[in-house]
Amino acid sequence: MTTFTQPQPKIASREEWLIARKALLAKEKAMTRELDALRAERRQLPWVRVEKDYVFEGPHGRCTLADLFRGRSQLAVYHFMLTPGSDRICHGCAYIADHIDGARQHFGQADLAFAAISRVPLERIEQVRRRLGWTFPWVSSQGTDFNFDFGVSFRKEDIAAGRAIYNYGTPVRQSEDMHGTSIFARNDAGEVFHTYSTFARGDEVLMGAHSWLDLTPKGRNEAGGIMSWLKLHDEYEAGDADEHACCR
Amino acid sequence: MTMHNTAKRVEWLQARLRLLEAEKALTRQSDEVARMRQALPRLRIDKSYTFDTDQGSATLADLFQGRSQLLVYHFMFGPDWAAGCPSCSMIADGFDGFAVHLANHDVMLMAVSRAPLAKLQAYKKRMGWSFPWASALSNDFNFDFNVSFTEQQQRDGGIEYNYRRGGHEMDMQPVPPTVAAFAATCGTDAGSFTRDRPGMSAFLREDGVIYHTYSTYARGLDGLWGAYQWLDRAPKGRNESGIWWRRRDEYEAR
Repeated sequence: MTTFTQPQPKIASREEWLIARKALLAKEKAMTRELDALRAERRQLPWVRVEKDYVFEGPHGRCTLADLFRGRSQLAVYHFMLTPGSDRICHGCAYIADHIDGARQHFGQADLAFAAISRVPLERIEQVRRRLGWTFPWVSSQGTDFNFDFGVSFRKEDIAAGRAIYNYGTPVRQSEDMHGTSIFARNDAGEVFHTYSTFARGDEVLMGAHSWLDLTPKGRNEAGGIMSWLKLHDEYEAGDADEHACCR
Repeated sequence: MTMHNTAKRVEWLQARLRLLEAEKALTRQSDEVARMRQALPRLRIDKSYTFDTDQGSATLADLFQGRSQLLVYHFMFGPDWAAGCPSCSMIADGFDGFAVHLANHDVMLMAVSRAPLAKLQAYKKRMGWSFPWASALSNDFNFDFNVSFTEQQQRDGGIEYNYRRGGHEMDMQPVPPTVAAFAATCGTDAGSFTRDRPGMSAFLREDGVIYHTYSTYARGLDGLWGAYQWLDRAPKGRNESGIWWRRRDEYEAR
């Protein structure tokens, strides 16, 4: 059983609770409206034409960035952190990936395509995918500049020279690969544009489980460090508190 | 897609950096609101509720399944409906994938609806979900947590939802076409459809006592709607003039 990270609140009568809840509701509503305004601003960002021809390796052969749209006009790319030569699977990326297959069933109807992209060989990607049971499209950008151009992979010499910058301003000290999300659009002439990228805590909104935790009495409950509790979904033990332990 | 203001990378970057400041401010604001949620007073629950679950009859304490926190998604599925609400189904498509992480972080996430257990089980099988789903058919749970309402309340205009009496889209007369269309996809009429509403409630169990800590409704559920978080970053945004989503097995292959 985990503990509280801040002093525990008082126990109230329904009337008291309702007064506090309504006061909080006003703040939540204000934030919802601010979020709506932010989303509108996001859609107003200018677009940058993608001039380079990136060729990715997918399970069905080679494909271009335009191919990843699969006939739709919008493409979301999740930059899944996998570093060549390392057998580590990023827990945070795997956690986000656990959210994608559910959500993306509705993307087609909303004119959005999805692909995960990593710079390791396709064979490694397929190995990870099989282990964790995901079905979303996932291609390899090995041998291309894609990950470097979109600010999620960094060359050793750039890190050493202090030229490697993540999230539009954070110097990279060690990690050659970071996570992020990039959005692209394609017009009727088939031209592809980069519209948006987000990194670091910008990816938090894609972690639906975090949104639920933010509603709980203990919150994210991370006294052991940010996301220190997280494991790959096949690494959790079926303990004494498993799904069928309750009802006898 | 219509043409958009296209830019050189340096111009785009300037605009992106301005937006990043606004995004960071909202991330911090969201952290602050989460702290305020945790600081809400708690309500002790003295009433006992009995639910129907896959494992048989269960109390509210049983639903925690050994965890100290319980999150209930109030899934709209009325007793006489043929199918669950399409919007709730889309939210459930999201949490079905990640509930395992919460279950291993001291949080049990599950759905509760008024429909009889057999209907919930059949629909869950149809949609391929694995999260626990309990029926509250035989108790007042949904009414006490303001997600189900009586015909009497409906007639008297006495529905209090999302901490406000009346004035919700689902109270409107004549019934909005989107509400009527959704009712039809659930195999029911608008009157019955609007007696159930979506929400989520958080509970805490401590020293054998259960407390209600938080409930949210309506757009308070926005953040739990996984597909929306992606669409909010796409150039067209949510891109909706009405209801575009269906149940996942109702889309045409494309």
